[in-house]
Amino acid sequence: MTEGDYRHVYVVIEHIDGKLLPVSLEMLGEARRLFDDFNSRYSSKEKVVAVLLGHNIQHLSQILIEHGADSVVIVDRPEVAALINKIHTKVICQICLDIETAAKIEPAYAMEFKRPRYMFFAADGIGRHLSSTVLAELDSGLASDVNQLIISDLDISHPVKTGGKHIVYKKTLEMYRVDFSGFLWTTILCLDNINENLSMREYSPQSCNIIPGAFQPIKPDPERKGKVIEFSPKIDEEDLKIKVLSQKFVENEIDFDNYKTVVGFGRGIQDAPEKNIKLIEEFAKQLNAQVGISLPIAKNVFTASPAISSKYMIPARVVGTSGHKISPMLYIVFGVSGAMQHVSGMEDSQFVISVNADENAPIRDVSDIFLKGRMEDVLPLLSEELKKQQITVQVK
Amino acid sequence: MSAGSISYNPDGTLNRSKTKNTLGPHSKIATQAAFYAKVKYGAKISVGSMSGHAANNALQIAMETCDADVLHLYNDPSFAGADTIGTAEVLKKGVEKMEGQMERKMDIVFSGHRATDGETGQTGPQIAWKLGLTFLGNVISYDVDLEKRTVTAKRLLNLRGVPEIIQEIEAPLPVFIAIDPSYKYHFNTVSLRLSAEKYKKEAHEKSQNYQKYIQTFNREGLGAEKTLIGLVGSPTIVYNVQRVPKGKAIRNAKVLDGSNPEHIQQTVTAIKEALSAMVIK
Repeated sequence: MTEGDYRHVYVVIEHIDGKLLPVSLEMLGEARRLFDDFNSRYSSKEKVVAVLLGHNIQHLSQILIEHGADSVVIVDRPEVAALINKIHTKVICQICLDIETAAKIEPAYAMEFKRPRYMFFAADGIGRHLSSTVLAELDSGLASDVNQLIISDLDISHPVKTGGKHIVYKKTLEMYRVDFSGFLWTTILCLDNINENLSMREYSPQSCNIIPGAFQPIKPDPERKGKVIEFSPKIDEEDLKIKVLSQKFVENEIDFDNYKTVVGFGRGIQDAPEKNIKLIEEFAKQLNAQVGISLPIAKNVFTASPAISSKYMIPARVVGTSGHKISPMLYIVFGVSGAMQHVSGMEDSQFVISVNADENAPIRDVSDIFLKGRMEDVLPLLSEELKKQQITVQVK
Repeated sequence: MSAGSISYNPDGTLNRSKTKNTLGPHSKIATQAAFYAKVKYGAKISVGSMSGHAANNALQIAMETCDADVLHLYNDPSFAGADTIGTAEVLKKGVEKMEGQMERKMDIVFSGHRATDGETGQTGPQIAWKLGLTFLGNVISYDVDLEKRTVTAKRLLNLRGVPEIIQEIEAPLPVFIAIDPSYKYHFNTVSLRLSAEKYKKEAHEKSQNYQKYIQTFNREGLGAEKTLIGLVGSPTIVYNVQRVPKGKAIRNAKVLDGSNPEHIQQTVTAIKEALSAMVIK
C-alpha cells in the first residue's frame, strides 16, 4: 500500500425530487469534523467528497459545499433520476474507481489512487441496500446503523487478520453500532488481511451506513469554496428495462403532534401481546392519548391478531431514532426498557411516567415517576383509579 | 418458474450454536412470499439455510409454510464467524447449487428483511449482487407477468424527514426480493384460495417428514472458495462489545410500587396534574 492508494471520504448523498434529506447534511457534517482533525493529525490533504446522483439537481451542489463538501461529484442525467438500486450501484462504483475523478478532487497522489479510503451512506430505505450492493461490488467491509465514528491508529492482534502478530493499522475507522437489544454497543473495524500463512488482502473503502439523526450538520458557510465535478457514467442498456412506474408519498396516518398524551409500550407485552395491547388501547382511550411503540414491536417478533397487529405493531408508530421524535405534555410508557434508540425519541416529553417490572431498567433515568410492576397487573389498577378520580372531579 | 428462499442465521457477531434454532420471523415472511408464487404461478420452491444445527427445525417450519420442494442446509465449521459478505458468498453458492440441481436458473430469490439477530439487512442485497440479480428491497407486494417475464413490485421506502414512499417498480426476471415485514399475501379468486388450501395440506404432511428432504452441503459440496468465506473472507471484525454507556439520569424518578393502591392513586393524580400543566419541575 502506498500513501496514495486509498484516499478521501466519499459520502453518498440522498435526496427526493431534488430536496436533500436531512441525513445527507448530517453525514457531511460528521465527515467534515473527522477530516479537519484527520488532515491536521496526519498532515495530509484528503477531501470530503459528496457523491450526488439524480436529474435537475445542479442546485444542490452549492448547498453540499456550504455544508462541508470539498468536492461534489455529480451525475445529472435522466437515467439516474429514479431510485433504482442496480443503476445507482454501478454508477457509484464507477465513480469510486475513477482515477480522473480522483485527480480532479485532489491532484496529489492521484496517479496512485485506487479507491476511496472511507465511504458513508445513510442507514435508511435507500442507503441501507445501496451500501450493501456497492460494497459487495467493491468487495470491502460495511458496518450498519452506525452512530459514532473515530479515526485512529490501532494496535491489533487477531488470529485471522494478523496471524496473532501485533500490527498497527493506521487511519482505521472505528464504527460504533448499537445492536438489536439497544444495550450493546459494538465496534466494527474493516481491516486488511496481513497474514502470510492464510491470506494477504486489502479491503477498502472502510464503509458504513449511518443512522439518520445521529450526527449534526455543520453551520452552513456561504463563503465556502468547493469543486463541482461532472461525471459521465456508462449505463447498461439492459438496466434501463428496470422502470419505476410510480412513486407516491403516503401521508403518515399516525399523528403525535396533536395529542397532549402519548401512551407507549414495548417488549413488556411479550407474555400476552394480544391482551396487553388491548389494555393499552383502553387506557389510551381513557386519556384521549395517541399510542406509540418501541422499535422491536414493529418488527413482527410478537404475534397478535391481525386486527391488533396491523393497527399497533407498525413502523409508523415507532417512537425513537428510527421513528418519531415526540414531546407531549405527558408520556406514559409500559414495558419499555429504555434503549438509547427509544429514549432519543421521547426525552423531550414534559412529564414521563414509566411502568416496568425491572427497577433498574434505564427508562427510570428519564422518568419523573417510575412505577415498579408488570404492565398486565398495573394497567387495570391505573384504569380503575382513573375512572374513580374522574368521577370525583365531576361530583365536585 | 422457480423460486428460492434464503433464511440466514447469525452474521458472526453471535455464537451460532447458542442461537435459538427456529425460523426467524422475517425469514418466515419470505417463505410466505414464495408460497404466493407457488399458488399463483406454480413455482417450484427450494429453501436454503446456513446453520450450525444439523437437525433444522427452521427448515421444517419453512417447508410447512411454503410447501417447499427442496430443502438445503449449509453447514461447515469454516462458515463460522463470517460477516455479511462472507455469509452472502456461501448463500450465493447455495442458490447456484439449487440451480444446478434443477438445471435452470432461479426466477426469483426471496430473503427476509433482516436477520433477527445480526440485524444488518445487508446479506440479502449482497447475495443478490453476487448472483447478478436485480435487487428489490422492502417489497410489500409483487406480481409476475409470465409472458413478458417481468415482475411488478410495490416497495415501501422509509426515509427520515419525508413521509413514507410507495414505489411501484417493474423489472425483468430474474430478481431478488427482500420482503418487507408488512407483506401479506392475498388470493383474490376462489380457485387460488382452493389451490392454496391444497398446497397447505400437502405442506403439512410433507413437513412431518422434513428430514427426509434435507440435503446437507459443506464447503466442498458447495464449491465455496476458502478465502471468500468465514473469518478469512470477512473484511470486518467485531473489535469490541460494550454496554451502551448509561447516560446520567436526566430526571430523578420518584419510584413507586405498582401493587400499592396508594401509589396508584398518586400516579393518577400526577397524570391529571401533568395534563393541567400544574407540574412545577
